[in-house]
Amino acid sequence: MKFTRLNKPEKTVLVIEGVLDALTAPEIRPTVDALVEERPTLIEVDLSSLRVIDSSGVGVVVSLYKRCKEFGGSVRVTGLANQPLAIFKLLRLDRVFEL
Amino acid sequence: MGLQGDKIRAIIPSRLEYRDLAVRLVASACKLVRGGGTEFSHEVVSAFSEAINNVIIHGGGLGGESIEVEIEPAEDRLTIRLVDNGRSFDPLTVPPPDLGSLPESGLGVFIMRAFMDEVAYAAGPPNTLTMKKYARKDGQR
Repeated sequence: MKFTRLNKPEKTVLVIEGVLDALTAPEIRPTVDALVEERPTLIEVDLSSLRVIDSSGVGVVVSLYKRCKEFGGSVRVTGLANQPLAIFKLLRLDRVFEL
Repeated sequence: MGLQGDKIRAIIPSRLEYRDLAVRLVASACKLVRGGGTEFSHEVVSAFSEAINNVIIHGGGLGGESIEVEIEPAEDRLTIRLVDNGRSFDPLTVPPPDLGSLPESGLGVFIMRAFMDEVAYAAGPPNTLTMKKYARKDGQR
């Protein structure tokens, strides 16, 4: 798993590539925590290069969404396809993130 | 020549570092099922990912023991068995999550049961989790 943070004028983009699962989710949590602390207005989570996600990985994205919502921030998920999209649809997260 | 009776077996250490290797094996086996397609593969991979997580994290523990992954491909279905000698963890006893509350954990068993047609568990030792999914020619679940 590889993740990259991009700071743009209108939003912060978090690009997650590869596999986000029970093994790799703990690696990205400190970055997510730091991001939430900054209270950004809009975060885009770009999952276009994510190959596989499991429930632990979904938990990271949902946690980010819920914590940002608490202070009025927004989280947008983009680029979902294949197995990650199947999981998000099953968990009805396609409605939450307007996929 | 048909696939009937063919079995693929892999023994992997009960550690998360080997999880992706096993997932890739299952993803490849999905391609052997005629009429499986990409949706079939995505759903089997998702269910298997959660199943092996459960065995490693809740059952076998994060070190030491091995897990046997047995895959039985057939023309119209795929059967996967996970066999371990760790603590018994019956996923069928886990209540379904409240998806409306956006839970951040406790979703694994729900994913397994939603995406597979049959899930059965026999407490051991050895513990055996059997999951089966049929290919649908019309794409219907």
